[in-house]
Amino acid sequence: MASDEIQSPELSVADQLDSEIASLRSQVESLKQELKLQTATLITSESTRQILQTSSTRANDSSRLQELSKRADEQNAHKQQCLYRACASITTFKVRDPDPGAVDDGKVLGLRFEVMSKSRFLRPYYVMLNRPYPNSRHLRVHRHTVPQCIPLSGLAARHLPPPTAKDDYDAPKKQDLSKFARTLRRELVRYHNRTAVIGDLRSAAGLESKKGKAKELKDPIADISAADAQAKQIRVEWSDGRTGRLIMTDDGDIVKMVVQGENGQDRESVKQLIGESVRIEEVAKRLESA
Amino acid sequence: MARLSLPTTARLSSTLRVDPTNITVIKALNRLSRPSLLSLVLDWLDERNQSLCPPLLRRPDAEEYEDEDDFYPPAQSLSELRELYEAMQLRKGGRREVVDRVLEGDWRYGLSLYQLAMADLQYLYDHPGSLKWTAYRIQRLQTPGHEDDAEGPEIADKESITVPRFHPSTFLQNLQAEVLPDVKAHYNFDRPKGMPLLLLRIFIIDSPYNTDLAVSTRHRGRPGLASSGSSSSATTSFDASRTIYIAFPDASPHIYISKSANAATASSTAGGAAGEAKSLRALVVEGVPKALSRPRERYALKGTGLSTKNLGAMLAVKGAGRANAAGGGWSVYAGTETADLKADNPLQTLKTLPTPPLSDASSANDDTAENTDYGRKRRRLVDPDEAEDEKQQKRARAAAQARFGDAAKVDDGKGVERLDVAIEDPFPTDTAIPPPDGDYDARRGAGAGEPSRRKSKGRKSILDLSLSQEDLEDVSNERGRGRANEEGEESWAPRVRLSFHGSHVFAGLRQLVEAGIVDGERMPGWMTGEEGVTAGAVRHGRIKGFRGSGV
Repeated sequence: MASDEIQSPELSVADQLDSEIASLRSQVESLKQELKLQTATLITSESTRQILQTSSTRANDSSRLQELSKRADEQNAHKQQCLYRACASITTFKVRDPDPGAVDDGKVLGLRFEVMSKSRFLRPYYVMLNRPYPNSRHLRVHRHTVPQCIPLSGLAARHLPPPTAKDDYDAPKKQDLSKFARTLRRELVRYHNRTAVIGDLRSAAGLESKKGKAKELKDPIADISAADAQAKQIRVEWSDGRTGRLIMTDDGDIVKMVVQGENGQDRESVKQLIGESVRIEEVAKRLESA
Repeated sequence: MARLSLPTTARLSSTLRVDPTNITVIKALNRLSRPSLLSLVLDWLDERNQSLCPPLLRRPDAEEYEDEDDFYPPAQSLSELRELYEAMQLRKGGRREVVDRVLEGDWRYGLSLYQLAMADLQYLYDHPGSLKWTAYRIQRLQTPGHEDDAEGPEIADKESITVPRFHPSTFLQNLQAEVLPDVKAHYNFDRPKGMPLLLLRIFIIDSPYNTDLAVSTRHRGRPGLASSGSSSSATTSFDASRTIYIAFPDASPHIYISKSANAATASSTAGGAAGEAKSLRALVVEGVPKALSRPRERYALKGTGLSTKNLGAMLAVKGAGRANAAGGGWSVYAGTETADLKADNPLQTLKTLPTPPLSDASSANDDTAENTDYGRKRRRLVDPDEAEDEKQQKRARAAAQARFGDAAKVDDGKGVERLDVAIEDPFPTDTAIPPPDGDYDARRGAGAGEPSRRKSKGRKSILDLSLSQEDLEDVSNERGRGRANEEGEESWAPRVRLSFHGSHVFAGLRQLVEAGIVDGERMPGWMTGEEGVTAGAVRHGRIKGFRGSGV
């Protein structure tokens, strides 16, 4: 017992020290981050740029100064890139394919699609294009990070068709990169909007929070989830065993809803859930106010 | 049992009982470990499963059980049985004890097909590498514009922008319609834990009946029927190779079809059965696209050149995520970890953008600058050789990061165990040895593979490298062979086939790059796994057919 009593304060002292070290480390990290941020802000400010320019004309210690101005340029370029990315949701960049056997000397054009969801920028989607066709400037999708639920291959076949062979008498197909990018972005945004609205429905039905208002209703909704890859169909399950399926268009207009109860179709619950709504967002609002 | 057994096309019911003396049943239970067997039995004893796998219980109103010889007197209630097996869980003992109790005691009148399916699935979860999976892509076909075109060749609708949707029960109904009436199948859906996919187990029995007759090995009280073909066919039809698994990954237009990993050994022992299993598999592969199709919406399966034992690897390359068409070094663009998100956010004003090394000039310069700095500092302290080594190591690591990105780590659980590549590049013409076909072949017959190895060495460093490495063993150079090509003599191409084996082929390659054995900058792209295939033909340093683009 005595040894226990001695040990426990020792242990706690060790624990205290450990936690102190951990907190100090995290403090160091955040301070470093702060320092970086301040440096970045300072280096790109207008006054710094002026000082750099005036002192570069005098040119005393050129190597340090050059490094500094190089950093400033880089940071400025990055700032500009971020601005473009935040405002125009499609941006392009160039990459080099590291594969030594890559076509076209590894020149790759990257398209970057910014998508926002829940008032946050998601990880952008990338589509890399290259020119694998001999004697042709036609582009082809090389690599991409677009999920499978977006029909990228169909869009690519429509807007970036491969060059026609010589013995083909069809009119040469034209590639339309900007249309491809625009339609792809539209698909991406629509997909995210659909998944977001399903999230809204869930939180409106009190499924997201632990103790929501789910208890207040008589027959609470047990689950709402996307029923297919493209999130165009929504599965609704009630706690009393009714199940429903709601189909919406790409843009979120309600097409149809069917609920199966114990005795076949249950039109009453459909009416209860969607009422006069035309768009899926209205259903979420109805659920919220119910 | 129904009085009349009429041949039908209906599926086998899950409640159908298989005699416990059947060799398949004994095998299925005996290959499980004791703990998983016990947890399985407790699953069977769950209230919800009672309709599918009821154990033998003593009737409450029956008199005292009298059979003195019965080693496993039936329990009185489910809870009693459950307690019994739970006690077994705590106790140490052999598997034998449990198997005997199940087969001779509580389920002495037979295990239902559902129970068999559960046992098989449990084995699969315990041994995830026991099956080899092949990925197929579900591709939309063009709807024929005219009736006459309907019989024509299938043309893929490349411009389709619908993503195939899959509904389990509808799919099963349609698949059932595709299966021939003289074959009966039992279907069981399951969702493995921790994997975003739906697993369908198909167990096929050669029998026209969908009653007990289909699964019985002896026909009680019916000697007339048991005498000839039906009983013997029933025993042969109970073969593990007649089980096919189909996996449907969530939100991905692919399906994975299993192939028993030890099919090769099976073929050596019983060639007929393996061949049968193959044709059965072909039947299913043929039936699946038809079952997925709907009126005016036809689908076909297209091979992807990817087959592996690791479902995790399969899901990474052909799943729902972002990494499908961004393997290898491109995976830096596909990560969705918090760090990736933070670094690659337009609101992130600090310049910490993830630029893959070697891909843009500035970062490469940074690296070298750092390297020389580092080297200079070190040189004062240690001898220059060591510093040089360090420099090279660092360079090799940067190259590995450039080529493999965040993929192909040893412990990522996405290992592919085999990669087969056939190199079809034309033979370089500037070498001293002229390639006259017949002469060369004759020499090869005597030289047993050695000459072709030596020759290909000069072309690329891949070969000698893989020869020197143990985990890249088994480089099989097929017969170098002259091929008549329209370009004439210049395009003579030796048939070189490489196959890489190991628990995680691409991680092994990455380690070789990191160790500086493989030159990371000159290594061809297919060695990084970015093409997402495990078998392919290489021409001009690239896998043929624009693999890895996901289009």
